[in-house]
Amino acid sequence: MINRNFQRWFVTVLGLSVALGLAACSKKAADTTTTSAQPPAPAAALTVTGVELGRAVGGDKRVTETVTTFAPNDVVYVSVHTAGSAPSAMLKSRWTYQDGQLIDETEQAIAPNGDEATEFHISKPDGLPPGNYKVEIFLDGVSVQSKDFEVK
Amino acid sequence: MGFSGDSDDKQKPKPDFSNVESGSSSTAPAPAKAPSTAQPKTYVVKQGDNLSKIAKQEYGNANEWRRIYDANRDLIKNPDLIHPGQTLKIPPAEKA
Repeated sequence: MINRNFQRWFVTVLGLSVALGLAACSKKAADTTTTSAQPPAPAAALTVTGVELGRAVGGDKRVTETVTTFAPNDVVYVSVHTAGSAPSAMLKSRWTYQDGQLIDETEQAIAPNGDEATEFHISKPDGLPPGNYKVEIFLDGVSVQSKDFEVK
Repeated sequence: MGFSGDSDDKQKPKPDFSNVESGSSSTAPAPAKAPSTAQPKTYVVKQGDNLSKIAKQEYGNANEWRRIYDANRDLIKNPDLIHPGQTLKIPPAEKA
């Protein structure tokens, strides 16, 4: 009788020990998984925050007065504002006339760190023909913004 | 019979933008130079362009046209014949 009781007690204690041991192991494994799955803090991505057109830019490369109508002999400036940082990025302006006739493409390589501004400009010694124009801005080959303007 | 307005519009020549002057500048610093991995500069051919004109614009010397031609042999069969819309690789200028 005593022997049988002892056997039951022994089996119960052994079972509990095994169960506790397995639980501890699985918790450790779960903790390890959680820790390794945490991604590194993301770097501030470079984004174009604004595009402005004007006849002149200041030393900060931002237009001094925003306009969308120009005279033929004006220099047309577009100022591209960016935020974020990147070791190397390429901004491009693509200027077109009326139904898409290509006027000019200019690239500017930048390594921004925080808020920056980049200007592109076009002019024509004998005057830009009257009509509707468009300037499209690309960041690393991807079109990000465009602006329409008129020359008259 | 006097309905020539539409056909006149269609035949109207496109404006010549070959003498457009352009440029750019930025408050952001330029990326650190990495010659082995840097992307070559490109130039999109406009109406009225020729290799000498592009070389003059890119290098300040029209006689450097052959550098552009050599870098684009796969695209240019005849150096006297380039077409608007072609994207040419512009090799970096040689340092003196």
